[in-house]
Amino acid sequence: MQINNQCAGEAVMNVHGSGVNILLKTASVGGGIGYPLTFVTPYSYSNSLLLPPIVEIQNVTKSFKKVPRVSDLSFTIDKGDVYGFLGQNGAGKSTTMRMILGLIFPDAGKVLINGTELTNSRRHLLRHIGAVIERPDMYGYLSGWDNLKIFAALTDATIKEKRLYDVLEQVGLRGRERDKVKTYSQGMKQRLGIAIALVHEPDLLILDEPTNGLDPQGIAGMRQLIQSLSRDHGKTVLVSSHMLHEIEQVATRMLILHRGKKIAEGPVQELLNPEEMMVRIGIVPDDVITRKLTESQWQKHVVTAADGQLTFRLNREMIPELNRWLVNNGAGVTDIDSRHSLEDYFISLTND
Amino acid sequence: MIRVLAFVFTLFLLPFTTMASDAQGLYLTLRSKVLTVKDYTADVRVLIDVSYMQIPTLEGMLYYKAPDKVKMVRKDGISMLPRKNISLTLGSLIPSGGVTVLDAGTATIKGHNLRILKVIPDDDKTGIVLTRIWVDEGELLAYRTETTTRDEGTVVLDLEYGSYARYALPDKVSITMDVKEYKLPKGATMDYSEAPGTPKKPVAAGGKNEKGRIDITYLSYKVNKGLSDSIFADKDK
Amino acid sequence: MIRLLLIELYKIFRRPRTYISFGVVTATSLIFQLAMKAGGREFFEFGMQDISEQFNIQGNIINGYLVAYLILQSLLIQIPLLVALVAGDALAGEANGGTLRLILTRPVSRTRLVMIKFMASSIYTIMLIVWLAVMALFLSLLVFGDGDMINLKSETFILLLKHDVMWRYACAFGFACLAMTTIASLSMLLSAFADNSIGPIIATMGIVVVFTILSNLELPLFTAINPYLFTSHMVGWKGFFDADVPYRAIGKSAMVLFLYTSGFLAATILYFNKKDITS
Repeated sequence: MQINNQCAGEAVMNVHGSGVNILLKTASVGGGIGYPLTFVTPYSYSNSLLLPPIVEIQNVTKSFKKVPRVSDLSFTIDKGDVYGFLGQNGAGKSTTMRMILGLIFPDAGKVLINGTELTNSRRHLLRHIGAVIERPDMYGYLSGWDNLKIFAALTDATIKEKRLYDVLEQVGLRGRERDKVKTYSQGMKQRLGIAIALVHEPDLLILDEPTNGLDPQGIAGMRQLIQSLSRDHGKTVLVSSHMLHEIEQVATRMLILHRGKKIAEGPVQELLNPEEMMVRIGIVPDDVITRKLTESQWQKHVVTAADGQLTFRLNREMIPELNRWLVNNGAGVTDIDSRHSLEDYFISLTND
Repeated sequence: MIRVLAFVFTLFLLPFTTMASDAQGLYLTLRSKVLTVKDYTADVRVLIDVSYMQIPTLEGMLYYKAPDKVKMVRKDGISMLPRKNISLTLGSLIPSGGVTVLDAGTATIKGHNLRILKVIPDDDKTGIVLTRIWVDEGELLAYRTETTTRDEGTVVLDLEYGSYARYALPDKVSITMDVKEYKLPKGATMDYSEAPGTPKKPVAAGGKNEKGRIDITYLSYKVNKGLSDSIFADKDK
Repeated sequence: MIRLLLIELYKIFRRPRTYISFGVVTATSLIFQLAMKAGGREFFEFGMQDISEQFNIQGNIINGYLVAYLILQSLLIQIPLLVALVAGDALAGEANGGTLRLILTRPVSRTRLVMIKFMASSIYTIMLIVWLAVMALFLSLLVFGDGDMINLKSETFILLLKHDVMWRYACAFGFACLAMTTIASLSMLLSAFADNSIGPIIATMGIVVVFTILSNLELPLFTAINPYLFTSHMVGWKGFFDADVPYRAIGKSAMVLFLYTSGFLAATILYFNKKDITS
């Protein structure tokens, strides 16, 4: 049996003789600052076994006018995930989402939907996706009903009027559908956008900053809607935000993007474990130490490791033990900085 | 001796004076015949052949009232006739009033033996400087006139006669005249320049004028029925 | 395909700006007709000076056919603007409004989207020209009556008998549809490049104006490129008002316009299929 480590966030275990590939969900970290490291943890989503992920991004890179927006990004979204994209404005969230939708073409790398490359059958694959990207812009001079009808007709499927009413009911716009969209509030537009995204009953829903411009009530409503879509309707949801707590509240897995690079990726509960701390240790740069680290029991705690900067995620009581191990292995430790949570760590990135 | 000289001189001049008076007589007879027609209405076909004009045969009614009123009317249509001064009826081309008529020899046109009269008006109110008329003395019909006007160049009329010869009214008149060039700025017309149907105007050597030809075929006449002047009033102006 | 086309037309004809064009055609036709009613004869005789010095021209000269021709002559310069108003907006307007990204997240091929937008713009263009025919020709005939039509060209004076005119108008309007479809395809191409609709509209007009000037300049350099400018061929409708219609030249012009249209459309499809939608 061999394990191919990928920074994509998963490992493929090929059981010799059986010809069966088993996908193991992993929490992977790294790539952003140092070289990628991956560690394998058992993962509870049994439905991911043997099925191709609904979205698979392989080493995708995209630049605009020579400015890199997304660099060598890889991740997978499995059926049933509520997958959170976390990052500041300009981190590459929208660009990545647009690449998943075929709005933007990657300079390098692949986008696979249900195991099929997007470029090969974009039209076919988009039947399974509904999306609201950035602002929910629609035809303001037409009614909500007209907008819904128009975008429903842009799918190949014949959609009955009842479905239109149902989806309006679902997003709470019933009764306002005959009003012109230009009279709608931001929240209503957002909900109409989601109705449009849902009307053809897609498997995957992509929502780009869906709470932008919403009041607290609207934000809560949006959260409930996403949860309900996942729980009650079995939708896979990819949702982005620049606020950790929003992701934290709805997502099962998350990916942190910073300047187009993956900082961390994994199950939200693991990444946000309150027992764990983000520990940054400065050492005198030493390749031997870095190599020894990958071979040690500490490897699974490594977030990044490069240029004398090591970042670990571990419980507080493990810090002295790690320090001892480093010193015993000849590392010149210069400083240790521990932060309480991923949130602190994310905020520290934001403050860069 | 003086008497002898006077006689010889008279003998010598006599043929000229008699010839001159013959010509004058012929002219006056012809004119009086032409002037018997006080007015007429005719069905006509007009064909205008000028290099820069594309005009189909125009059918209409031609009204004439002596001495010089002419009007063509086409029902709901546009009619075009040469302007009055280079007009198309004998009545207006043959000078009225005092004239000097000279015999200018003979010629044969289309089998007719014709005498050529040179007519010089005594005054130039009409603008006519000189008219040459080719007359069949037997039929008392003019088969060609060539009128030189002061301002309008030279106009040649070729006439053919049929059943209205007794009124000296032709069945067909072909008018050959000088026409001025015509040009509008291309920026104003924005022509479709790919169209080859446009005849390229030949560059006239040194002159701005070229020859145009108008054929008028008279299909039927109603002569001397009395026409009111109001017919000739220009309604559009 | 038909469903999508109907949606596109619905979008076009539910938008107030679409009717600006029909309003402009109506207003300019009416103003022109009023002006011709008031002083048309003097205006036209100015152009006919050389002719009327020598010929006595009588009859209903300022009739519906002539007025319609004069309206077309002056309006067909502005109609490209009205076509660009919709065709230039086709892709750029959606990009500007943010709806383009929403459309393209639906399972619609980009090629098909461009084709549908082009067809819808063409239908709008044809409807505009039909409206022009109603306002310029039929209303003029009603107001000024019919009659033989005088057509003044730069070096030719043409008179067409009244029963010989209507079919020429039918052909001319047909040709105008083709010419304006070329404008629509040009606007579409420019629209694909832009993320707001003002740019393509102005660019379309700029190209039409500059090319029209080049088409009418009689300098050796420009006469050499004239046959390759689509604006030289756009006035091909006038060929139908020659006494002998130059069918061969008109056919050639129609072919040139068709090639331009196909070229613009193909370029739009090629570019748009590769375009990153960042709007």
